[in-house]
Amino acid sequence: MRLDGREVEPFGSLLDTILAAGIPLPHLCKDDALPVIGACRTCLVEADGRVVAACSTPATGVSECLTHTGRVTRIRRGVLELTRAMQSGPPSQTGGPCSAETAAALAAHGIEQARYLPRNAAYSDSSNTFFSFHQDACILCGRCTAACQDLQHIGAIGIAGRGLGARITAGTGGPLSASICTSCGSCVAACPTTALSPKE
Amino acid sequence: MSRPLPPDFPLRSHLLPRLFEESRRAGWIAPERVAAIAYDLRIPAAEAWEVAAAYAGFYTSSKLTPEPACGWLACRMAGSPGDGHCQFRCYAPPASGPEDLFPAGMVRQAGPLLAAVPSGAHALQSARLMGRDRALEQVAGSGLRGRGGAYFPTGSKWRSALAEGRPLALVVNAEEGEPGVFKDRALMSLVPGRVAEGIAIAAFVLQPNVLVIFANGHADPALASLESALAGFDTGAPIAVYRGGGGYVLGEEGALLNAIEGRRPVPRTRPPYPVQAGLFGMPTVVNNIETMANLPLLFDDPAAFARTGIETAPGTRILSLSGRIERPGVYEVPIGTLLRDVVERAGPVVQGEPAVLMGGPSGGFLAASAFDTPLAPGPMHPTGAMLGAGGITVLDAPGDIRETTMAAAAFNASESCGKCTPCREGTPRLRDALAAGDRAMVEELGEILEFASLCGLGQMAPGPARSALHFWPEVFA
Repeated sequence: MRLDGREVEPFGSLLDTILAAGIPLPHLCKDDALPVIGACRTCLVEADGRVVAACSTPATGVSECLTHTGRVTRIRRGVLELTRAMQSGPPSQTGGPCSAETAAALAAHGIEQARYLPRNAAYSDSSNTFFSFHQDACILCGRCTAACQDLQHIGAIGIAGRGLGARITAGTGGPLSASICTSCGSCVAACPTTALSPKE
Repeated sequence: MSRPLPPDFPLRSHLLPRLFEESRRAGWIAPERVAAIAYDLRIPAAEAWEVAAAYAGFYTSSKLTPEPACGWLACRMAGSPGDGHCQFRCYAPPASGPEDLFPAGMVRQAGPLLAAVPSGAHALQSARLMGRDRALEQVAGSGLRGRGGAYFPTGSKWRSALAEGRPLALVVNAEEGEPGVFKDRALMSLVPGRVAEGIAIAAFVLQPNVLVIFANGHADPALASLESALAGFDTGAPIAVYRGGGGYVLGEEGALLNAIEGRRPVPRTRPPYPVQAGLFGMPTVVNNIETMANLPLLFDDPAAFARTGIETAPGTRILSLSGRIERPGVYEVPIGTLLRDVVERAGPVVQGEPAVLMGGPSGGFLAASAFDTPLAPGPMHPTGAMLGAGGITVLDAPGDIRETTMAAAAFNASESCGKCTPCREGTPRLRDALAAGDRAMVEELGEILEFASLCGLGQMAPGPARSALHFWPEVFA
């Protein structure tokens, strides 16, 4: 297939092929250790003229992929700006091992502040001994819940509510300390922001 | 639940039925009840909680009495003070109280689908005499396209699923969650025998190992009518009946399948497509009730079916008409009928010019100047209007336009499932930009929603705003 003008071997998903070719592309909900989630919509590219999420598009069958056309860059930046609007504080990378990913994607697209009014995201939970959750940094990528439910098979946390009401919750809406969380740390390791951060 | 799930259904797939039962029993679903149900089904509490909290029709913080009055268009025009979800009785606004069978008097125009059913199930017999392969060819060759609103060729969908091998699932979607649409209820209430025979034909051709009917959580009388008609047919696999807690997103096949499996009802990424790996990982055919109702026609009188409608989309379509008209109700018309003919038959009662919202909150407006458009699959106007599931709300333009546009934008924001960022964050901002008259921002967000959203709900959410700004820019100045 042709990728940004050069000939490459298709490999796995479009995202896999793009990253293997050394082309930077945000992919905030796609964790190497986890299956495709498809929630963050930040790995948008043009595949044979269609805007698609690279993570969930098989590379086989695509003949031309463009990662930086004017249109797809504009739309990707738009999604990232909506993502930035979910976070009230300045970008920070003082959390878990992946916590720099969102800040890096925002910086790469020149986004410091969103033009939108901030959403109400005041919930936080510091009841766990080892880590805390702060909704005002959470981008609802779903990596933490996938890690907890599908990787560790614990199921201490989920995403409850619809639309703007959706947020990470433990158990049936109580604090983490009252849930079946084993403090394994997988959620913190998967988080691409500082929403889930180890305690000092 | 009126009937237990088949014994081979996994434990987790009992979650939605148990939550539905609890919601009916108590009027809400308390967190400790969710935990108890989760314990019974050996699911972590958080995974049951995210399911319970996802449905607009399930209350998880307290009992809500009385239920909020209908807040959708026809009921608001008729003076409903509420802001609740559509109650799917836009033909008799304002809707109140529990649902009843769809009234026969609200069939304003009947065609082959809504005509009285001759007894005898001759179509099923014809299909059986043909055998499965020829019956499949009959469906594919008829050109029937799915009536859920996407108009995918039914025969191709069946062939693709059958080509994947077995076991195979058939899911009949009677969720009917689009505000302003009530045609599935009309079919199930008035011609349940035709729907049941269609399901039996599909079951004969597909031989599904799992057969699910997913019915709207409020449509008790329509469902009871269909279930008693189904009792007269052999469908092979036992039928599992699911009831929802509401949700426009259940029109997305992946979300519907997640709902049945006891997972958060959010769309799945594609591929794999449901025909490849759908319910419980099986090749799965998801078909709408009206698609099922069409199947007997393909065997009773295929020539008549082929003669009706247009070459690329034969047959009729049941339209749900409501709003500022003298004769609201269902109109069964050949596909390709001009919108103008239908609106005139319904008798607009307006002070300004008549206009329509076509395709509900995912569709768009058409001004009277565009009424000479045929009702057919595909875009009816580049700004958003489409036939979709056949919902047509007649409005008074320009008087109703602003409020209707805002209602559609608010609906999309509140029905966004919350999974993907563009839709979750973009639909409320689109609503705000409209309210502020910020046309540039509406267009910017419209492009993001259309191209970046995971499913049709977000992709088509800009339609009402774009079309309103196209036809009546002064309303938002």
